[in-house]
Amino acid sequence: MSLGAPTTNAGSLADLQRAFQDYLLSSNNRFAASVRDTRKADRVTLLDVYRDGYALRLIEVLTNDYPGVMAMAGPADFDYMARAYIAAHPSHHPSVRWFGKDLADFLARTPPFNGSPAVAEMARFEWALGDAFDSADASPIVAQTLIDLPAEAWETLAFTRLPSLRVLSFDFDVPRAWQQRDEQEAGNLEVARADAPTPWVIWRPQLTSNFRSLATDEATMLAVLMEERPFPELCECLIPSAGEEQAPARAAGLLRGWVEEGMIGSFRH
Amino acid sequence: MSPRVDFGLGLRPDHYEEIAANPGKVSWFEVLSENYMVPGGNPLQWLDTFRRDYQMAMHGVSLSIGSIDPLDLRYLDELKVLVNRIEPMWVSDHLCFTGLRGVNMHDLLPLPYTEEALDHVTERVMRVQDHLGRRLVLENVSSYVTYAASELTEWDFIAALAQRADCELLLDVNNVYVSAFNHEFDARAFLRAMPAARVRQFHLAGHLHKGTHIIDTHDHPIIPDVWELYAEAVRLFPSVPTMIERDANIPPYAELLAELDMAREIAARVAQERAPEAAE
Ligand SMILES: [Fe+2]
Repeated sequence: MSLGAPTTNAGSLADLQRAFQDYLLSSNNRFAASVRDTRKADRVTLLDVYRDGYALRLIEVLTNDYPGVMAMAGPADFDYMARAYIAAHPSHHPSVRWFGKDLADFLARTPPFNGSPAVAEMARFEWALGDAFDSADASPIVAQTLIDLPAEAWETLAFTRLPSLRVLSFDFDVPRAWQQRDEQEAGNLEVARADAPTPWVIWRPQLTSNFRSLATDEATMLAVLMEERPFPELCECLIPSAGEEQAPARAAGLLRGWVEEGMIGSFRH
Repeated sequence: MSPRVDFGLGLRPDHYEEIAANPGKVSWFEVLSENYMVPGGNPLQWLDTFRRDYQMAMHGVSLSIGSIDPLDLRYLDELKVLVNRIEPMWVSDHLCFTGLRGVNMHDLLPLPYTEEALDHVTERVMRVQDHLGRRLVLENVSSYVTYAASELTEWDFIAALAQRADCELLLDVNNVYVSAFNHEFDARAFLRAMPAARVRQFHLAGHLHKGTHIIDTHDHPIIPDVWELYAEAVRLFPSVPTMIERDANIPPYAELLAELDMAREIAARVAQERAPEAAE
């Protein structure tokens, strides 16, 4: 019975597995003593199939998830960056779908990558697009259901966003650059700094993801909506920008736009 | 009545549109379980669409049945959710470990073929089968290194495991070929050692020959030697559902269908060889 047995003896299943993983994750070459040369190939060549394969497989995953980062960095810098990320963030998930989830944070805080904040923003944008792509399904509400509500319902009316919807703020114009990611040779994609930090919304009303920038007051109101605050508070948050008189009309107009764009998941009152 | 499940392909996103436009070219698809462990959206939409028209087998890469880590019950639960959604013909994964200490290497790392490993894997297969409420189908992997500690041949290890754990086998003919070359064993001896009643499915694939060793890349057409070995497999294990795995350098759907026709021809030829025996 192997399960509870001590596993410290060299050559045991546990010891071999640890040594194999250490060989792949670090430069600990102890495992080479546990495998054989063949008549055709020496063991280091054979072990390199695993060591190289480990890195290449994950670099490919990142390449697929981050085409915009690749377009900015080019293959050589991307490879360097990917290997640094792989070393710092081994996968803890059964699916490679989630392997790249910490890339933006990693790039934003790790030298030398944090010297190019636009690249970290691109990574954040691309990860959010990926999240929207296979986020939970929900049908957005349609305008008519709101039009049909009695007037008093609006006093307590609160909304939830679509599960796929998220708002990000970018200092650089990464979404526009992302749309041009295939137009230049990889490494040449330039990303301009935005005039001011700009909020962007990403969401998936049906099967195709959308994104667009938000006006300042629009972002303010959307943040309040996402906290599921009632409609009067949505109006209130616009008073500083629109004035007391115009705020309700502006709020209604923005809300109508979001409903028509399929951003709103549900409402209650 | 649903058509007989014989020749299939791996369901790949690159082919979704082509499959939808060319229905009925295969009788079943193998789907990669982890690709559909997502909350929603496009992948699950396509999956449900194709499931209406095709039988499916589920094929996972992260069960890590041989690992010394505890079984990942969260993964098993996710797998079960997908099993309930797809209602697959069977659920397969690989005889290997994919990592330990909570890290997933996303590779199919071979096990030492020892009595200790055999006990360990047997016990885990039985627990997974209890958890899923169905038999597990395990695939032989391509491997590049031989452990000095191994006491058994790979084929004896697999045959003993299938018997003891009462599981089934996915025989990857290309993997047998690759490992036979890399470790200098007789691929046909491997096939002959497999318990015929437990062979549930065949895999076919292409590989990359490096001269001194072969790497299982799934990015090339199947080579003639592997087709020959497939013919031998069909002789030993008739009427086992067959599919082609292509994971990289993915050609148009029609090209894979043409490659699958080759499998159909070989199986038909072997069946004809057998016909006179049956008549006697
Ligand atoms: Fe396979």
